[in-house]
Amino acid sequence: MNPATEVMDVVFGLDPQWYAGTLFVLTYLFIMSDRINRAIVSMTAAGLMVLGGVLTQEAALEGVDFNTIGLLTGMMIIVAITRQSGVFQFLAIWSAKQVNGSPWGILVMLSMVTALLSALLDNVTTVLLIAPVTLLITDSLDVDPYPYLFAEIFAANIGGAATLIGDPPNIMIGTAVGLSFNDFLFNLGPVVAVLLPAMMIPIYLIWGRKLVASSDARQRVMDYNEADAITDKRLLWQSMLVLALVITGFILANDIHQEPATIAMFGAALLLLISSLPRSPGEQSEQLEYIFSKVEWITIFFFVGLFIIVYGVEETGLMELLASKMMEMTGGDPELTTISIIWTSAIASAMVDNIPFVATMIPIIQNMGGMLGGPEELMPLWWALALGSCLGGNGSLVGASANLIVAGFAERAGQPIHFLRFMLIAFPLMLGSIAISTLYIYLRYL
Amino acid sequence: MQPHLKQVQQPMTTTPGTDTHPTASTIMDPNPKVLFSTDKISVGVHYIMKHRYRRLPVVDNDGRFMGVFGVSCLLRLVLPKAVVMAKGLDTAPFVRDSLSDLHRRLQAVEDEPISLCMRDEMVRVCPDTPLIETLLTLYKTRASLPVVDPDTGKLVGVISYFDVGEKVLAAGV
Repeated sequence: MNPATEVMDVVFGLDPQWYAGTLFVLTYLFIMSDRINRAIVSMTAAGLMVLGGVLTQEAALEGVDFNTIGLLTGMMIIVAITRQSGVFQFLAIWSAKQVNGSPWGILVMLSMVTALLSALLDNVTTVLLIAPVTLLITDSLDVDPYPYLFAEIFAANIGGAATLIGDPPNIMIGTAVGLSFNDFLFNLGPVVAVLLPAMMIPIYLIWGRKLVASSDARQRVMDYNEADAITDKRLLWQSMLVLALVITGFILANDIHQEPATIAMFGAALLLLISSLPRSPGEQSEQLEYIFSKVEWITIFFFVGLFIIVYGVEETGLMELLASKMMEMTGGDPELTTISIIWTSAIASAMVDNIPFVATMIPIIQNMGGMLGGPEELMPLWWALALGSCLGGNGSLVGASANLIVAGFAERAGQPIHFLRFMLIAFPLMLGSIAISTLYIYLRYL
Repeated sequence: MQPHLKQVQQPMTTTPGTDTHPTASTIMDPNPKVLFSTDKISVGVHYIMKHRYRRLPVVDNDGRFMGVFGVSCLLRLVLPKAVVMAKGLDTAPFVRDSLSDLHRRLQAVEDEPISLCMRDEMVRVCPDTPLIETLLTLYKTRASLPVVDPDTGKLVGVISYFDVGEKVLAAGV
């Protein structure tokens, strides 16, 4: 046991395992109920974990994975600055025009752009950038935006699975296990490259072949002048330079002995510096306030609280107990354990937020190391967890934050995405993507 | 087509403020022009364009205040939804829509009721709101202010900058 947690003098003489376990379950229930903001829930539970005596304040801070926090915050700042240049709109419109305004072609191109951006940025940011442009294009084409938004949800969650920075579960797994950007790209990139076109087939059969636009409507899209989307050329070049440096930094992270959080935060600082140079101190403060307001603090504080809760539960030995129970259920068979993890993660992530789920699974899998023969034997399990939790988000509207963001846009555009209508098609498609992923993991690692 | 416009004839349910303690009811126009929430959008658009109204209050059949419909609603209808929605595009300099494209968007909704596109989260005052508070609200809103009975939800009047100007000038020193 960590010396910092030796207190374990839990209030009212309760068993620490029971206290922490109950607090953990209640946190889950409150997050699932959606009645109280998830950041408030996690911060309150984290506070109770310390006040209840499970952790000291020192131990609680030790439990926070600042690599994840730094990476997320740094990337959010970089994107907040970069988006001001208009480059993301440029990319979306340019791609739509490459297919001569064909409705199906545009759906495919926007999905590809979404997947690409989602791999390099986070999913929520990606859909915040792409969904409004999609609604603009579908308005000009005079077609139903639903298939486009549906495809983009899938593309965001699939694309995000390809890299370390693409989806919060990957960031958490990567930083907990020490996996690099390249590890994710080389191990999950191939299956993502298969899944993306594979998912387009059912989308084409269900909606794609019926998408028709008049020649006037197509011309309206072709009349867009994507060059005008770039509102600040200087900022564009600065952003592209820093983004390229940051991605290169992620790729070379092991060689330059730097953690992803350092690379992302330094990239953010560098971009803030060079984009602020021509401004007066007053304008710099104003710009900084704007940029910092774009950081998703709710997500950041949610993570901080969650890390403390899971660390508290872990310190009581509950995770070890759960890990051994899971191993008992699978008979300690690596193949069965891996397959169980990918399917359980997928179904759980379709139903509940995948972030707390992954935060729970990480220490459970780490505790399986000894039972399966060492950290190297755990690698298929990590890939199974990453694929299951990222792709599982496609299973329902509440499966991932990006889904809810897209649904919000659809509702405001007068084209609501209903929970059941979405799930009736999305859940089977998600199961199909998990079947392909299972086959990939089995053939490559087991 | 004749709009279902009417002037609200309000029985005075509250005591107008005295000269020493004036309230919103002292300066409001108690018989404002209104639109009904069931009126077609085409009717509302035609009327505000013909009479150059910036906006008019919208009421239900019982005279309850529902919102306002005006030129900003008209702009919302003709612009792409992606640029006017919350968290939508901040700018769209690359779009090359023509006037016909704008008309196409308006045509698509012109037979829908006004309630579909009116602004319903409106700043309003009560008849008893003190004068200075009323004027401060008017100053911040920068548009005509509906006066709504808090108990019944009924529209009892409207305050415009011109109503205020007239009353102030008439008051003398």
